[in-house]
Amino acid sequence: MAVVRTLLYLVVYPGLLFLFLYSTFCEWFDRKVYARFQNRMGPTHTGRFGLLQPIADFVKLLSKEDVVPEAADKRLFAVLPIIGLAVVSTAGLLLPVWNFDLANPGWTSFSGDIIVMLYLLSLPTLILFLAAWSSTNLFSTIGGARVLTMLFGYEVPLFLAVLSPAILANSWRLAEIAAFYQRKPLLLLPNLLAFIIALIAVQAKLERTPFDIPHAETEIVGGTFTEYSGKKLALFRLTFDIELVVSSGLLAAVFLGGFPGGAVVGFIHFVVKTLFVIFLLCLLRALTSRIRVDQVISFAWKYLAPLAVLQLLAIILLKGFLP
Amino acid sequence: MSFQIPIGPQHPALKEPISLRMTVEGEVITGVDIRLGYNHRGLEKLAEDRNWTQNIYLVERICGICSHSHATCYVQGVEKLMELAPPKRGLYIRYLVSELERIHSHLLWLGVAGHEAGFDSFFMYVWRDREVVMDLLELITGNRVHYAINTLGGVRRDLDAGQIAKIRDGLVVLRKRSEYYFHIGANEPSFVARIAGVGYLSKEKAVALCAVGPTARASGWARDVRKEDPYAVYDEVDFDVATADSCDVLGRVVVRVKELLESYKICEQILDKLPPGDIAVKAPRKAKPGEVVSRYEAPRGENIHYIKSNGTDKPERLKVRAPTLGNYPATVEMLRKGFIADIPLIFAAIDPCICCAERSVTLIDAGSGEESVARMSDLRRRAIVRHENAPLKRNAVWPL
Amino acid sequence: MKIAVFLPELLRHLFKKPATVDYPFKKLEVPKDFRGTPYLNPEMCIACRACERDCPAEAIEISSVNEAEKRFRMVIHNDRCIHCAQCVDSCPTTPKAMQMDSLFEIACDDRHKLKTDWVYVRAVLKPKAAAPAAAPQAAEPKT
Repeated sequence: MAVVRTLLYLVVYPGLLFLFLYSTFCEWFDRKVYARFQNRMGPTHTGRFGLLQPIADFVKLLSKEDVVPEAADKRLFAVLPIIGLAVVSTAGLLLPVWNFDLANPGWTSFSGDIIVMLYLLSLPTLILFLAAWSSTNLFSTIGGARVLTMLFGYEVPLFLAVLSPAILANSWRLAEIAAFYQRKPLLLLPNLLAFIIALIAVQAKLERTPFDIPHAETEIVGGTFTEYSGKKLALFRLTFDIELVVSSGLLAAVFLGGFPGGAVVGFIHFVVKTLFVIFLLCLLRALTSRIRVDQVISFAWKYLAPLAVLQLLAIILLKGFLP
Repeated sequence: MSFQIPIGPQHPALKEPISLRMTVEGEVITGVDIRLGYNHRGLEKLAEDRNWTQNIYLVERICGICSHSHATCYVQGVEKLMELAPPKRGLYIRYLVSELERIHSHLLWLGVAGHEAGFDSFFMYVWRDREVVMDLLELITGNRVHYAINTLGGVRRDLDAGQIAKIRDGLVVLRKRSEYYFHIGANEPSFVARIAGVGYLSKEKAVALCAVGPTARASGWARDVRKEDPYAVYDEVDFDVATADSCDVLGRVVVRVKELLESYKICEQILDKLPPGDIAVKAPRKAKPGEVVSRYEAPRGENIHYIKSNGTDKPERLKVRAPTLGNYPATVEMLRKGFIADIPLIFAAIDPCICCAERSVTLIDAGSGEESVARMSDLRRRAIVRHENAPLKRNAVWPL
Repeated sequence: MKIAVFLPELLRHLFKKPATVDYPFKKLEVPKDFRGTPYLNPEMCIACRACERDCPAEAIEISSVNEAEKRFRMVIHNDRCIHCAQCVDSCPTTPKAMQMDSLFEIACDDRHKLKTDWVYVRAVLKPKAAAPAAAPQAAEPKT
């Protein structure tokens, strides 16, 4: 019985199926809002309001021809998209979506899960780099170098920014952090700066404009994905969609007070808050133009990192004054 | 580590095939090589086979964006050969379309610049508002892209009062929007960071490398055929030559937006001064023997057509120098020492129209990749042999 | 420089109707003088071949079917037509035998289906007064 339940957890909810459906919905939301910002229509004709468009795209990619470059390391090339998907889906399991109360914590909630989640969210970047390097294309190689260069820019500010509310809540456990801020919602306000920094860093992690440098199509064609096609590309795209859901869920859990209120209300909380974060990410995407990779690094270390440190200091001071 | 990356002939940043071979070291460009000839259509040869009227539509198809510039440049030349004097009203309408085309071309470029920099919202909004001028052109001429309003001795369509009112309304909207996009383009930090100081071309270099059009004007070189050698109506309207001194891509954006505002001014003056009368005179079918060079300020720079007549109803020689060709040497200079990320922006900043400038081909051996030079007579012989030996394809036959 | 300078414009359009026209479902109207597809008014054609001679794309073809009956056949190859309307300009009759309509959705999966042809008897040049669009000074009938 326990095995069946675990399997259900893994495959249906909050595992793959849920993540797949919800991430396609989020992609639809992102595309629709982005289109509306630009006075366009966005997906319209597949399903009601074009809701099925991301799934249609996924299926279309699955049915396309899958080409592996001659010079590539075939095994590595094939296995990387699956590992990427597995890593982000695992991170998705750690989200406190479905275990709302602390007295009866879910089986994936443990002390330190926020660290594990951040770690799991860093892995796709490395997988991207490996994918780019193993496809041996010039454009991919440049893309891979850019992926790693950017990683050094945004990773530190992201960690500092996400950890500062955790320090204030005095816990390394997502459910506990969320519960702390549900009790004292006013304390969310001092973390506002960290929220903005984390938003920008997550935008960079997800490689969306202004940080879509590793796959900037007008510069280096498909960048990291130049040689990927068919099923593998579909899996990579799904990976990014799930990563979008997971990182917005993480930001919502840490900065927006989690998802309280039992199964139904909690789930509504989850949807509303993640969509709010995705809306902000989408706004950032529509507002800016792509910057250069050296500008990312100087921006991250000149502004993001010092501000994140300042935020951390402020939180530590605040903690001293709090009872 | 130094390696060569091929930008083109097929690349998302390029809308037409051209090969830019970049030698890069990390992200920095150390060497640039431009190869042309992927889009050669044999247009000049084709022109020798068509009569003067048919050629208007042929040269119009040299370019899709500055179609009117090529047609007008050609028509100017032929009118000089035939000693025709088009009526004033016809000329005013012709150059009104000319300025509207400049507006549409510059708005298109502004959107493309946004897209190349990854600023897609800007791109979408600029292109949305470009539809206003496209609709005006469709209203005046009957088509959006190939206006075909020129004819030998004037224009083919007249303007009525309703159309004039619509053009005036459209110009008001366009002016407001252009000013707004100028404000956005000059103030959005991530966009300015991408274009300021990128693709530097000093005035001395611009002069030495014969840059034309907005590229030259952005380097502080006030060069404009409309001012230097005012053809047709341009000595009767008041406008300024837009220049910028920053010598970079930002300067080229500024020059183009300023030119947009000047174009609105010119359009309004043309509409104000529009004289009554005929729009065209009848043209003879044959031109006297002679040769003529016609100059025209296209949106991208100076466009030159050389036309030679031998007294028949067909030209003996038509030579087209599209503005993009004049800007290639400057592009090589601009790209040097730039970043990979700047390639699309710098290259797009000359507003390249690649197939306009394709007047040459490179002969490359498909097996060994070696380039060779062949005499014209030899090429002709080879073409005839190939044509005779080629099997007939079912669908390739056009039954007449 | 200002941060988020585009923001008001973006937010203003968030709940507005998109500018896109949902093309195959909704169609824009073309202007009155739109250059669509050329067609022939066979009863006006005098078979002078001016259109055939001036067509830049060589899309018009006039051939004689029966010399004695003065019967002609005209084919317009719409797969080659570049829609410049020079044939209309070149046509010497009043009213014009060559006309443009405003059809623009003529795409087709076979280029041979795009041909349109007319077989007709050559029109005889009528006296100018009979033409409806005749100028007033031509009112006196010429015989």
